[in-house]
Amino acid sequence: MSFTTRSPAHNRRALLTTAALAAGALGLSAAGVQAAPIIVKIGISLPLTGADAESATLIKDGALLAIDQANAKNMVPGYTFVPMVLNNATATAGQYDPAQAATNAKKFLSDPKVIAIVGPEMSGDGKAMSPILSQGDMACVTPASTNPDITSPAFAGQYRPRGKAVYFRTVTTDAYQGPNMANFYKDDLHVKSVYILDDSGAYGVGLANAFEAQAKKIGIKVLGHDQLDPKDADYTTILTKIKGLGPDAIYYGGVGMAGVKLIKQAYDIVPKMIKGGGDGMYGTDLLTGAGFPAAQGWYATIAAPHLLDDSKASSWVKAYDKKFGKQPSDYAITSYDAAEVILHAVKAVAMEGKKVSHSTVRDAIQKTDLMTLQGKVSFNENGDLMNKVISVFEIEHNPKYPLDDMIHQYKYIGVAPQNAS
Amino acid sequence: MTASQILFQQIINGISIGAMYSLLALGFTLVYGIIELINFSHFNVFMVGSFIGLGVLQAFGLSGQSVVLTGAALAFVLSVAFMVTMLASGALGVAIERLSLRPLRHVKGPAAMITTIGISYILQNVVMLAIGARSYNYANPLPSTSWQVDGATIQLREVLIWIVAPLLMAALNFFVNHTRMGKAMKATAQDQEAARMMGVEVDRVVMLSFFIGAALAGASGLIFGLYYNFTNFMIGYTAGLRAFTAAVLGGIGSVPGAMVGGLIIGLIESLGGQYLAVRWTDVIIFSILVLLLVFRPTGLMGRMAPNKS
Repeated sequence: MSFTTRSPAHNRRALLTTAALAAGALGLSAAGVQAAPIIVKIGISLPLTGADAESATLIKDGALLAIDQANAKNMVPGYTFVPMVLNNATATAGQYDPAQAATNAKKFLSDPKVIAIVGPEMSGDGKAMSPILSQGDMACVTPASTNPDITSPAFAGQYRPRGKAVYFRTVTTDAYQGPNMANFYKDDLHVKSVYILDDSGAYGVGLANAFEAQAKKIGIKVLGHDQLDPKDADYTTILTKIKGLGPDAIYYGGVGMAGVKLIKQAYDIVPKMIKGGGDGMYGTDLLTGAGFPAAQGWYATIAAPHLLDDSKASSWVKAYDKKFGKQPSDYAITSYDAAEVILHAVKAVAMEGKKVSHSTVRDAIQKTDLMTLQGKVSFNENGDLMNKVISVFEIEHNPKYPLDDMIHQYKYIGVAPQNAS
Repeated sequence: MTASQILFQQIINGISIGAMYSLLALGFTLVYGIIELINFSHFNVFMVGSFIGLGVLQAFGLSGQSVVLTGAALAFVLSVAFMVTMLASGALGVAIERLSLRPLRHVKGPAAMITTIGISYILQNVVMLAIGARSYNYANPLPSTSWQVDGATIQLREVLIWIVAPLLMAALNFFVNHTRMGKAMKATAQDQEAARMMGVEVDRVVMLSFFIGAALAGASGLIFGLYYNFTNFMIGYTAGLRAFTAAVLGGIGSVPGAMVGGLIIGLIESLGGQYLAVRWTDVIIFSILVLLLVFRPTGLMGRMAPNKS
């Protein structure tokens, strides 16, 4: 803009600024002149492209909704929250990529305005990010990653070398998700023998192993455990082998990339066998990729209470639908909760008059005691959620609703038992 | 299922997977045979082909596996789908050759090969960004008919692949050995300079070999979709690597070698998975490849490259 074409409004603003500056210089109070709000960034790192893009987008939107609402109601006076969204899926991996997650963690740390992170979704990413965040003393709150090793004291040296918990969760872990599903297999589905598969990823292997250990303990016969290469197209070989062994059920630990193909080919080869997985099998990508009738009857779990049908969440679901034009998933709720945890931690720090930095926010997150959509959220000294609920779903086609409508295609069955009878 | 029934079923599985690898290996072998270039973009032309085929089938109003066609309607839809897919993929192959490889043809060293790797990534990323990265449910008009033979299940789509793959291979073999243009290709393969002096338009021959190779890749992409009922932007990677291995195993540059190599890889995959474990599949495949190359560097049916005297 050239000086000669200044608008009158601009001139007025310039005048005001000059006046304010003059007032400041004279030591007068600049009352009435609002100080610019302090910008606080909340990092979000999710695999927004690739095989899990759709579920990751639902999770991202859950966090964005919380941030928007906080700004709209001026939750922490003087502070404006800005999301910083980074994608951690790469074309080479075709799905989430832990190397990219590590890079994102470093990017967040190098920006002094970023005070905490919502994410990651995948445990493989969590394993890559946690040690880096520990070095920088920055917390992340994951709405979906469930591998127990990351927060386990046994691996503290590896995942949090500085000692303090930096990996908080608004879901519980596979230490409950796998075993409780094994209990459900035995008690509710009356499974006597099972074949276990995983997708060679950090999450899938951990979940499948946890399931296997509990299955053996409660007397389900484990006929075998093999690993799928998620980039491979053909699983007919292993499914034929399973057909030959004839177990009552298959349990699959893993995410959608191998999951879609497994659903399709299992439908051709072992259509009547009981099939189930963890929260990696809870997502719209599976429904749209595999389609019906192949997906019909698969069981899936999530490491959180099921809230979408709950009357308490109905106004929230409406707000989500209105803003993003689609139905949320349960992990969109845990993501909303994760953002809430961070927002309230910032509020607590600001109220105490301390400087809002990632270290102070981490300490405040550790002390969280918050009523959220899913209920009370508080963490133990490792960052794990105190509440431990595993919800079981069965995929059941409801042709009245679109394929990517999680609420109507995943039928809620109940809470998986903590102990087998 | 008894042990022998399982063995029989796994052999059926292996031959079906193998036929797909063979078909994909053909395009490799063809281009290598003519200009001694390992064309890594072939992997992803295959992937693009599967999406072109999906587009054609969707244009017919098919979605998922809900619409089943039989008889003349099925034959019509499939032949149109194959034709469009092969022409479009072939055109993509020609464009790749013309725009990025012809300028490099006289550059010595691995520049052209590295370029094909680059193109491969470009195709993969363009598809990912344009179409999306999730797996797509393939539109498939084939009925899910299957037959029980001695305890094993044979699916209609397996029969389809057993028919289409040998048909395309035979057509290629006939074209190369018995047509004028095919002879020009052979001449170019033996000695470009001499062929040019004899009036062979080398540029056209090379372009044609890229067209045919890419058209075969497109056909394999469509077959892949019909066979597995899904596609995504990643399918070129594993299938392409195995097909490349098949081509090397059979003897790169040899058409029958590609067929045999593909079938061997397919059978290793299914029998290895049955009697060892799926997680060892790649280890077994590549160990056999290394051993074979140590004792027989030209592959099973390959000869030393003809123009390197």
